Amino acid sequence: MSQKEINVNIYRYDAAQDAEPRYDSYQVPWEPGMSAMDVLDYVYQNLDSTVAYYDHAGCALGICARCAGKINGKSGLLCQTLVDGDVVLEPAVKSRVIKDLVCARGGK
Amino acid sequence: MNHKEIDTDVLVVGGGGAGFRAAIGAREKGVETLLLSKGPLGRCGATPMAGADYTLDGNSLRKLGFYGEPKDSMQTFFEDIVKQGFYLNNQELLEQYVTTAPDRLRELLEWGVAPVRSEERAIFTTGIGMMDALIGQAKKLGVRTLEDVMLLELITQDGQVVGALGLDIASGQFLRFHAKAVIIASGGWHKAFWPNTGMRDLAGDGTAMALRAGAELGNMEFITFCCNVLYGPPHVLGSIASYIFSLRCAGELTNQEGERFLNQYDPSMVHIGTHMEWNKCFISLATTKEVRAGKGSPKGGIYYGRGDLPYEQWARQVQVSFPNWKYKHIDLKDIVASIEAGKPIEVGPAVEYFDGGIIIDGKFQSNLPGLFAAGECTLGPFGANRVCAATTEMLVHGAAAGERAGEYAQGAPEPVKYSEKFQALEDAATAPLRRQEGLNVAQVRRRVQEMAHKRLGPIRTEAELKEFLAFLDEVQTRQLPHLATASKSRNYNKEWVDSLELANLLQLLETSAKSALLRTESRGVHYREDHPYTDNDNWLKETVATLDGEITIGTRPVRITSLAPNPGRKPYFEMLQEMMEGHSEVGGHH
Repeated sequence: MSQKEINVNIYRYDAAQDAEPRYDSYQVPWEPGMSAMDVLDYVYQNLDSTVAYYDHAGCALGICARCAGKINGKSGLLCQTLVDGDVVLEPAVKSRVIKDLVCARGGK
Repeated sequence: MNHKEIDTDVLVVGGGGAGFRAAIGAREKGVETLLLSKGPLGRCGATPMAGADYTLDGNSLRKLGFYGEPKDSMQTFFEDIVKQGFYLNNQELLEQYVTTAPDRLRELLEWGVAPVRSEERAIFTTGIGMMDALIGQAKKLGVRTLEDVMLLELITQDGQVVGALGLDIASGQFLRFHAKAVIIASGGWHKAFWPNTGMRDLAGDGTAMALRAGAELGNMEFITFCCNVLYGPPHVLGSIASYIFSLRCAGELTNQEGERFLNQYDPSMVHIGTHMEWNKCFISLATTKEVRAGKGSPKGGIYYGRGDLPYEQWARQVQVSFPNWKYKHIDLKDIVASIEAGKPIEVGPAVEYFDGGIIIDGKFQSNLPGLFAAGECTLGPFGANRVCAATTEMLVHGAAAGERAGEYAQGAPEPVKYSEKFQALEDAATAPLRRQEGLNVAQVRRRVQEMAHKRLGPIRTEAELKEFLAFLDEVQTRQLPHLATASKSRNYNKEWVDSLELANLLQLLETSAKSALLRTESRGVHYREDHPYTDNDNWLKETVATLDGEITIGTRPVRITSLAPNPGRKPYFEMLQEMMEGHSEVGGHH
């Protein structure tokens, strides 16, 4: 039985060195119950380790709320938003991007 | 400029309950206090994930105006915790836990924590609520904080701590801290295992750097695996929601062949080992036995279901903990639907708490002058098996360590700033960034994590531990020096942070595996299949790990102040039953 794959488009932008953002595309094996963060973990571990998302202190269980992002254009927590088909992953606030999906916190 | 210099008197490493309570204690001594949080303030580490329960003796609980067990006392509470710990508890630290727990609760209430309910020996609130109260008090006193800062290494001179090197994760800039005293409150090292129940920042950075600086670590072989943790679907892997199901309603545990495998154990042991928080020790062990016997589920666990209990009854018992079937932000409806349909869910043990850690004296100082420690990162009061609350531990430790560190800093000279030491560490830290080609850290790490779960899980053997140590040695010598990040830009470089953490995970796993190999007996959460007995003639000892070129393990006697066990050797399950039967009946779930 062949594994279902989804197409994942990820917003890429390094505020320190890129002139413009771009979208990179990846094919990710899918299983039921995968969240957007599970998808990112797969990309990071197997396809492209340059992808950045808030991870160094994330709970991945819907508690810390630091993985806010846009999943297919809709705001939500990456770790709790389930993905069941092709998906576009973007930062929560593009004007505050440090790198890819990681935004600086506003109003410190 | 690639680095920034920051001065303070007391540097607190870790922003959980222990760290913040320590910062409050230090600041109350009138010294400059700076707390470093690896992630967002009050929303990283283990504390904000806690349900939470806070344990203290029932009599003191009543005196604070809550429902508690009137027949309980500090003495009974103390004795029970010693039984839970299989008599391996540091009784000096345990006395501190038992006698000061009520004071720490009283101040939390004053600072704004609102308990939800209480039972015999515990009061229930949220970890987030505790964090917010602690942060509020710390800010009021003028504690400074920094977020998204990872500490990399302690700086010592002539064995005295003088500062530390840190990394601002967002910008990639190094931070050179100069301090008179350092308090490590960095929690556990859950990230060394996969699966795990921890936040992604918990890599034991503080424990590992303390070891490297010359501190002793103790009882590193004692690791609590929570039982009945969700093994899937992917977005809930590692969640303890199902553990809580099983606390509210024992339900039915079955292996891959549909057998109710707990039936092979004594019914009274099963009863206590299911309904009380002895379950983390007992059920994780029983589960692992099934998996090793080839009766594990596809994901390497067992199944939790409602058995013959009607769904409505199961739901009524369980839903009290899950309003609208949500656990924090996790939607459990699909999982609950599965249970309703009579389809049990896949669960199993996952690392949850570290009973051993940095060795501290009665003043919460390590063997290094100026280096203090508090909370889960220490070798605390629970001995071989923690049943009572770590939220209590974090506060009783934090208060004492903070006060001591503050007093120490009052009398300490200005630390000398050894820029050449900092420079050398910074150069070493940037190696993966500078290396043009090399190994991918995530793939190396996942292999390590999965091996740790298999070889350093609830059941250990000499052969498997030796195999694991050989594997760790191979990774440390042939893979770690060749890590290279694909991205070379320093701002929020996830790969770089992961590379820096991996060295810590490997050292802690090596320390733990060597300690587990040395302890040729079974006690609490350390079970040796090849030595399945508890040995009170030879093993009323703590293992002590030091790093001096290589990691070596010695022992020292357990600190017994009032309660000594019977001598002799007993098969593990007989000893477990004896400990359970010796426990009072006034403790409720604890």
